[in-house]
Amino acid sequence: MRLLVLVVLSVALMVVDARFTLLKPVRSQMSLVLMQSYWITDLPQRLWQGVASQFGSRTELVAENEKLKTENLLLQGRMQKLAALTEQNVRLRELLNSSALVNEKVEVAELIGMDPNPFTHRIIINKGERDGVVLGQPVLDARGLMGQVVELMPYTSRVLLLTDTTHSIPVQVNRNGLRAIASGTGNPERLELRHVADTADIKEGDLLVSSGLGQRFPAGYPVATVKEVIHDSGQPFAIVRAVPTAALNRSRYLLLVFSDGRTAEERANDAAQAQEALDQHGGGPIIPATVPKPVPAVVPAPAAATPATAPAATTPAAATPAKPAASTHPAKPAAKPTAAKPAAKPPVSAPATTGGRE
Amino acid sequence: MAGATASRNGWIVWLTFAIGLLLSVSPLPQFMEILRPLWLALLLAFWVLALPQTVGMVTAFCLGLAEDVLYGTLLGQNALILTLITFLVLSLQQRLRMFPMWQQCLVLLVIFGLAQLVQLWLSALTGNRQPTLALVLPALVSALLWPWISFGLRGLRRRYKIN
Repeated sequence: MRLLVLVVLSVALMVVDARFTLLKPVRSQMSLVLMQSYWITDLPQRLWQGVASQFGSRTELVAENEKLKTENLLLQGRMQKLAALTEQNVRLRELLNSSALVNEKVEVAELIGMDPNPFTHRIIINKGERDGVVLGQPVLDARGLMGQVVELMPYTSRVLLLTDTTHSIPVQVNRNGLRAIASGTGNPERLELRHVADTADIKEGDLLVSSGLGQRFPAGYPVATVKEVIHDSGQPFAIVRAVPTAALNRSRYLLLVFSDGRTAEERANDAAQAQEALDQHGGGPIIPATVPKPVPAVVPAPAAATPATAPAATTPAAATPAKPAASTHPAKPAAKPTAAKPAAKPPVSAPATTGGRE
Repeated sequence: MAGATASRNGWIVWLTFAIGLLLSVSPLPQFMEILRPLWLALLLAFWVLALPQTVGMVTAFCLGLAEDVLYGTLLGQNALILTLITFLVLSLQQRLRMFPMWQQCLVLLVIFGLAQLVQLWLSALTGNRQPTLALVLPALVSALLWPWISFGLRGLRRRYKIN
């Protein structure tokens, strides 16, 4: 009798938990106490690290210091170049009238536990709802994307890794912009690209970056490197296997990416307004006349969609090729790399970039 | 006197359950993760056999809910499984007590195996089905661990006179 009651109760709980959000507060209250156990089981390792750093020999510390200094130097050297490239990228985007790159804010989180179920790839981190973490937030480590937040608790959250069998991420090949979907396989060292045409230009060693098309992951972060491409004439698609760049089962410190909560349209509007402000200051970009003239019939439609972009354009005919990118969403240049490239090339060679600065 | 022992009893039993919860989330090397014993089920089986009046299906249900929160599964999934295990152990209680140790292990292997199968069905319903039948391995490991758990906890029980 008691069994019957409890079984019915647990089935009811499961159904309610799966379908409604009614039980979320209960769960978060319980997790407040129970999630401490992950912290407790992590304690020995933490203590060991503390002891090790306390009693680390001086020579070791000096050697590590040296290593970090050289690494820092290298990274800073790369940063200098990056600053120039970012500047150039912003200018080129201004020329194309496309929306500005959004700067994401990151925050460091620490891994406190692995999911005990060996068939799922999930980890627990020490930042939660009270720290401003939101559902679906992307998580990185120093080398690439790791996954996304799938469950929020007050001071902890659960992160689904890229390699979980239930996870897929839209990616593109960094070399040529080819789009694909990378799905997890349940193996922590392998992702698989689904439905890649046999003739697609993808080869071993290609870097896959996030394309931002799913509106969940920010665009341009490294995801994986292609390990092997198998062309089997008996299969309709090529079999493409990739290795995640992030150290999914080794990283202890992770980065939570806080991208702005604005919708794509708001972002486009904001970008357009910023552009307008720039124009009024007189420092606006000069649209080069080398841009191929598109069909004039296209002009009114995008202009009506986002009125704010219209004043930003000096000559409507020249501005149109870039307008779709501004009116839809920022991921658009990534989405249509083949279409965007021929349009983007002429301005690069044109002297207009320096002309805008003078 | 009786009240004092009763309160101490509860303390010890719940302490073992807390340790069981910790063990069920403690980090293990990669190859051992699929062998992780069902600590809570083992502890429940022992305490149900030892103190059927105090530890029962409601206890199992509450522990299962705790495990659900820890594992991030649907609320009630592990509760259902632990309740089922407790029910089976309770209904076989009289016979299990008479059995020699190896026979107890066999019976518990069957019970844990059944529980893991239910677990498989439930996780298939929620969409993350395990690709292999490796999920019966924890049942096997738990059954092999049973003699040690049983002796250890019996010693604990004698020492603190829990009854």
